[in-house]
Amino acid sequence: MEKVFVVTSGKGGVGKTTLVANLGCALAKMGDKVCLIDADVGLKNLDVVLGLENRIIYTIIDVVNNRVKPEEALVKHKILKNLHLLPASQIATKEMISPEDMKRIIHQLYPNFDYIIIDSPAGIERGFRNAIAAAEQAIVITTPELPSISDADRVIGLLENAGFEAQSVKLVINRIKPKMVKRGEMLTKEDIAEALAVSIVGLIPDTDEMVVATNKGMPVVLNGNQNVSVIFENIAKRLKGQPIPIEADTIVPGGSFLDMIKKLFKGSRG
Amino acid sequence: MFFGFMRRRKKKGSRTEAKERLENMLSTRRRVVPISNFIDEKHFRNSVSEMENVVRELAAKYFNVAKHNVRVECEEHNGYVVIITNITFD
Repeated sequence: MEKVFVVTSGKGGVGKTTLVANLGCALAKMGDKVCLIDADVGLKNLDVVLGLENRIIYTIIDVVNNRVKPEEALVKHKILKNLHLLPASQIATKEMISPEDMKRIIHQLYPNFDYIIIDSPAGIERGFRNAIAAAEQAIVITTPELPSISDADRVIGLLENAGFEAQSVKLVINRIKPKMVKRGEMLTKEDIAEALAVSIVGLIPDTDEMVVATNKGMPVVLNGNQNVSVIFENIAKRLKGQPIPIEADTIVPGGSFLDMIKKLFKGSRG
Repeated sequence: MFFGFMRRRKKKGSRTEAKERLENMLSTRRRVVPISNFIDEKHFRNSVSEMENVVRELAAKYFNVAKHNVRVECEEHNGYVVIITNITFD
């Protein structure tokens, strides 16, 4: 069973870092020992999404330059003690790391973790090459818009060229708007999966909870929102090989009818 | 005519248009362009190491650093070549 995943997209701003943070938290919540690697050197964000930006002492650049061992640079999560982050440096460039460096780092971390998830930078240049170098499985994330799908397709082609087999590349569709899909104003999951010819492991709806979670530095999986949290847990379970149907991810943003009634009363009190 | 007016034409959703455009866009996107389309591959492979040494020497001279502080890598990116040079100052 594969345990080194890279989350990539080609296009920026589609939700790679959010997926990495939440997937890491979901796996850690299930009891797995997880290491997240921020490969977005120069434009790091994973520490911010996890709320760990003030705890960083060493970065991946210190590891590459042999100042510290990979284990010494890891930052432990505040709540989930089995979740670790290897942070990226902000005052460095992606060119300062090579794919060989990345392979060496992951080789050293490999025996100590159940899962290693790499957050790839946007683009298809050096940073992307570094991120995929030691990955066993790739999760391509896209939104349902044409530029994002087109870039995802380009990335899938590059992954195939790099030796990834078709079954090692999975797709997550982010920011799906069920109401627009129903009205015929947005591509469906079937349209996207058919165009990209890869299997879907997650459907994440467009919700306000994501923004709130990032503001708090607390991934939505740890934030108590059941609806969205379940989706990331489902993705984690699917990556572990559990047969969770993709339809289980279909939720209406805003919650159930009961949630709407609750909100109504909350609003009238406030 | 009255009934024709009453019978609304079904509007084509933007999904259909997006699907058609996507099919056109993706038809050539995964095309691999090998370096051998532009340069003899054997010559390219043989030249890389020699060229890396020349770049290393030049960078060391002009930035006044030791040669081991200059890292040069040559990468092939789907039909084009990228030379990456990193210089570390002690």
